[in-house]
Amino acid sequence: MPAPRLLSLAAFLLVVGVSRADEPLHRRIDGLIAKGLPEFAAVAASKADDAEFLRRVTLDLTGTIPTADEARAFLADSSLDKRTKLIDRLLASPEHARHFATVLDVMLMERRKTQTVASAAWLDYLREAVAANKPWDVLVREILSADGSDAKTRPASRFLLDRAEPHQMTRDVGRLLLGVNLQCAQCHDHPKIDEYKQAHYFGIFAFLGRTTTVNDPTLKLVVLTEKADGETTFQSVFDPKKETKTGQPQLPGGKVVADKPVEAGKEYVVAPPTAKGAPPARTVPTYSRRAQLAPLLATADNTAFKRNIANRLWAHLLGRGLVHPLDLDHADNPPSHPELLDLLAQEMESHNFDVRHLLREIALSEAYQRSSVPTAKGAEAEPDRFVTAKLKPLSPEQLALALMQATGFTDNQRQALGAKATEAALYAKLAPSVAPFVNAFASEPGTAESFDARVEQALFLANGPTVKTWLVPAGNNLTARLAKAASPEALAEDLYLSVYTRRPTAEEAKLVAGFLARRTDKPQAIQDLVWALLASTEFRFNH
Amino acid sequence: MNVTLKPEDTRPAGEFKQPSPLLAARFDPTGTYAFASAEDNVIHRWTLADGKRVELKGHKSWLRGLAFSAKDKLLLSGDYTGKVFFWPVEGETPTREVQAHDGWVRALAVNGGEAMLASCGNDRLIKLWSLPDGKPVRTLEGHESHVYNVAFHPTQPLLVSADLKGVVKVWQIEKGSVERELDAKLLHKYDTTFGADIGGVRSIAFTSDGKHLACAGITNVTNAFAGVGNPLVVLFDWEAAKVAQLLKPKQAFQGTAWGVVCHPDGHVVAAAGGNGGMLWFWKADKAEDLFAFKVPQNARDLALHPDGKRLAVPCADGVLRVYDATAK
Amino acid sequence: MPRNPACGSTEHVLSRRGFLHGALGVGGAALSFGSLVQPAAATELNKQQKRVLLVWLSGGVSQLETWDPKPGTPTGGPFQAIPTSVPGTHICELLPHTAKILHRLALVRGININENDHGKGAYFMHTGRKQEPAMKYPHLGSVCAKLLTTADNPLPGYIHVTPKGNGGVSKEDAAFLGPRYASLALSDGQAPANITLPDGVSPDAEAQRQELRGLLNDRFASARKTAETEAYTGSYDQASQLMARRHLFDLTREPEKSRERYGNHDFGRHCLTARRLLEGGATFVKVTHTNYDTHHENFDFHIEQLGEFDRPFATLVTDLHDRGLLDSTLVIVMSEFGRTPKINRNLGRDHWGTAWSIAVGGCGIQGGAVVGKTNEQGTAVTDRMVHGGHLFHTYFKALGLNPNKNWYINEQPIPMTDPKAEAIAEILA
Repeated sequence: MPAPRLLSLAAFLLVVGVSRADEPLHRRIDGLIAKGLPEFAAVAASKADDAEFLRRVTLDLTGTIPTADEARAFLADSSLDKRTKLIDRLLASPEHARHFATVLDVMLMERRKTQTVASAAWLDYLREAVAANKPWDVLVREILSADGSDAKTRPASRFLLDRAEPHQMTRDVGRLLLGVNLQCAQCHDHPKIDEYKQAHYFGIFAFLGRTTTVNDPTLKLVVLTEKADGETTFQSVFDPKKETKTGQPQLPGGKVVADKPVEAGKEYVVAPPTAKGAPPARTVPTYSRRAQLAPLLATADNTAFKRNIANRLWAHLLGRGLVHPLDLDHADNPPSHPELLDLLAQEMESHNFDVRHLLREIALSEAYQRSSVPTAKGAEAEPDRFVTAKLKPLSPEQLALALMQATGFTDNQRQALGAKATEAALYAKLAPSVAPFVNAFASEPGTAESFDARVEQALFLANGPTVKTWLVPAGNNLTARLAKAASPEALAEDLYLSVYTRRPTAEEAKLVAGFLARRTDKPQAIQDLVWALLASTEFRFNH
Repeated sequence: MNVTLKPEDTRPAGEFKQPSPLLAARFDPTGTYAFASAEDNVIHRWTLADGKRVELKGHKSWLRGLAFSAKDKLLLSGDYTGKVFFWPVEGETPTREVQAHDGWVRALAVNGGEAMLASCGNDRLIKLWSLPDGKPVRTLEGHESHVYNVAFHPTQPLLVSADLKGVVKVWQIEKGSVERELDAKLLHKYDTTFGADIGGVRSIAFTSDGKHLACAGITNVTNAFAGVGNPLVVLFDWEAAKVAQLLKPKQAFQGTAWGVVCHPDGHVVAAAGGNGGMLWFWKADKAEDLFAFKVPQNARDLALHPDGKRLAVPCADGVLRVYDATAK
Repeated sequence: MPRNPACGSTEHVLSRRGFLHGALGVGGAALSFGSLVQPAAATELNKQQKRVLLVWLSGGVSQLETWDPKPGTPTGGPFQAIPTSVPGTHICELLPHTAKILHRLALVRGININENDHGKGAYFMHTGRKQEPAMKYPHLGSVCAKLLTTADNPLPGYIHVTPKGNGGVSKEDAAFLGPRYASLALSDGQAPANITLPDGVSPDAEAQRQELRGLLNDRFASARKTAETEAYTGSYDQASQLMARRHLFDLTREPEKSRERYGNHDFGRHCLTARRLLEGGATFVKVTHTNYDTHHENFDFHIEQLGEFDRPFATLVTDLHDRGLLDSTLVIVMSEFGRTPKINRNLGRDHWGTAWSIAVGGCGIQGGAVVGKTNEQGTAVTDRMVHGGHLFHTYFKALGLNPNKNWYINEQPIPMTDPKAEAIAEILA
């Protein structure tokens, strides 16, 4: 490692008052990754080149690709810490807040349609949280304790409120906040996973079982409401005796949270309506089981909570969790690098659940900055060894925004806004075009996002009006610029930098020139040329 | 007849039971008998005085078409195989059988002079037959959906027919041509979720002076296959050929108005089935009912006794419920 | 305590090794599809292209108003039974056209799926398996897309012609077979969106831009190639092939007389589109007719709905026969269940999975066969009771597929049909 870089990091650590002289996290990450395979150095891919890195990190942290000029500038920059500076600049940008809010939204709401909490308000809440680098435990505590009755906290209530019923809430609290898919343990102890027992499922359920939603006649809103009583019971479908057990509020592997006794007659802070025939209304019990959940779950003491967020942040950048799949953390599905996951979880704790810190350190690692082109030996290695960077399909939002940037639609909007081109103003111009991509490319609501390649998507990209519009020369967009390109070389350069965030090879430049030369209808030919790059694998995937 | 109804005093005046759910009911013109058709294809005839029941068997399907000729002491019945049977009112076997329609006969009507029978049905036709010999007289074509009901005007030589889509046609009987049309389309809807038509003019009745025509059915349908909608009686001003009043229950009710009668004292009465059974009493000058009477089971039809005092309500539980709606 | 029936994740059947080696994609279940069928089976099927027509009468058509009438009984309702082209077999008077071609169909009258719920009944009938939390099985359509479609078939394997407003792809019905075999739903039988080239892109230009795209992809793939990148590049080839066949969706290409025979209404047109797709090489075409869930006024609604169904369906079967396709096309007419013999107070019939019928015909089916009986009022099956599992076995055998084979998910065998059931031999040719 070149000395100046090490010094600058150490200086950074001293400045923020960290007294340890430990290796930075990203170095420790790489050490543990390297330990995960014999002769790792010989197998691992080389470092991604600047172009690869620039595109990848821009997509991962801000959800879109850089402009051609940004690419030129980065590639031309000879400073040795440019990658670090880029990471810091991207993390501090409002685009990062917007993008990561989307990432959290998809992670937490899985594309569910808005039921009662306006999704725009929820997204704003997440965006502000990311922009302020709100600690993850604070965010989750807010999400789990909002009941929707207070306008200030209502957006945060979407996670529970839009799921409406306690089994859905239980299932997703487990999967998304603790990394444990206890769904099957609703009906019986998991047949294959020893650690997923009915008692675990109903332990979480017991916190939520007294909660439902109600359209409160006074607030005129749908809010969460909770009873002061009600036991959680369950039977196993595998149990011939159908023995009934009681679920006690407890997190998997945790202590039971016993109900605090309440004076008779004082069970409610907001009592149920007594008038005969009165419509149902929000009730708040004096002792709320649900209120126990947030402070118990979203803390450093909760190992599953720490591991889950660490794992998901890792997966966001590396394309695959250390625990894989993301919601099956248990003894028979150990992480690919157990020590590393422990380290990252520990780091979340010691840094007060600072999400940005973890993203930064992972992004600084060699593991993250590895090329996606494998070595000969690396091509044979298992994907969980992280010897080669994984190809990640662009999310629907990334695809839309990247297409708008590549075609120069975004540049035109930016230019038109002029001095008023704040991130929000610009995004407002781009957002309407994101929706058709979500429609065409997003996964089934209520399921974890996954990739599929369907013929209707290909038809949409090939023949649909959205992309076509962006290909029509206008203002200073790509096809307009290419029509005026000074030379075939200049054309190829602008094209590749705008679309692929890299320079073309000589052969590629020849290919481009040849394609155009064969056509007499130059304006259409330019559109077709751009389209071919946009529709190619290199564009569709983050590599 | 100078009988006046007092709806608030409506009270049971007899229950006539048999096991099969009932479909339609009429009193005979002498007021001696109540007839009701059932889902067992049988017409049940009860003597009102002693409740004795006789089964008129012969139909091979359900029937809602019931009409009478007092002059010839005839009962006419039309079934869902398209046949019309002629019965002596006090007999037990039919004396004549006419294959009147291709598909269901939905309704029958006899004119004032009792010389003519009108039938209508799923073949979208209205047919006129002479009485008592049952010879075909004329076929009236033009409806584009199942014809649900027919009625003769009490005084003018006109026939009215009404269909599934709420189209009401007024025919010149002699010429066999349509004189005008009335719009009862509120009683129809095409439910796009289920891909089917619901509604139709389920029951039809003139006021005795012929100045108004009542058409009953279901409206506001939000779910055809669950029958979610409300009963409605469209009351037409006959001369003006326009809606005079939309008669609705004051208290919301989910179901279909299956039968409507116009009492000479000005009351319009309807019976409904859906979420239970109901009777409503209206006067033409007010859209909301003056009185609602709960019938214990779904009503499938409504008939007015010639004495003007009693109403017959055939119900889904097989019981023909007779009510006295005059002052106690 | 409600069970969560949609708890179907493939993780349930994965072995420990499967977990550790994780052929799953990030957060999902993108499997290595190549391992799913033993190679020998695939070549055997290429011998003769078989196809399937499924007519789905959504909501639960009444067996008493179709295949198993009981006139003159307390449960029979007002309709009569009519003779058919199969001596001794009667069906409801509401199906006069179908009655004339019943010799091309077989009736299964003894079905009991023990299920009265739309979703669960539909699942059982589409997958041959009772819905269970542990596992999600693929639809027959996805199974046929996988097993019957040859590699060079240009059309998506499982096409669903739906009523207006129900387009898109159901991402669920292929289960572990993967999204490639999910149904492609064509709303109102129209071609998928974006099926024609944009203005300004001539066929020549299209060929050139696709060629360039291919070249760029080849360069990229020389260093970086995964199942996902392959699926992506392949989807454009599928798109091109679908575009080349968009005439199949264009009913104006049918002679007017032909369109008249099918009827000037949605279901009629959808049947005609189905015929064109089957003739055009589609493997599995499902046509949905909506709706039959007649809790209210069962009889009036069945007049209307079966009035729409009868003629186009009979025309379609006849056309398939006349064009020499019926012998290689399995025809199935079914719902998620039947309707109660007891007529409710609103002249309706309610859900009834206990004793009901379906009709099948064509490839591998003995025309005119009738198997299964219900009692006098249709309240119970009295002879040869079968369920969705038996029917699934029967479809396999009719199509010349071996129902006793397994899928292999990460080397874990999953039976293609319910191992506890077997085919209904009486209706197999």
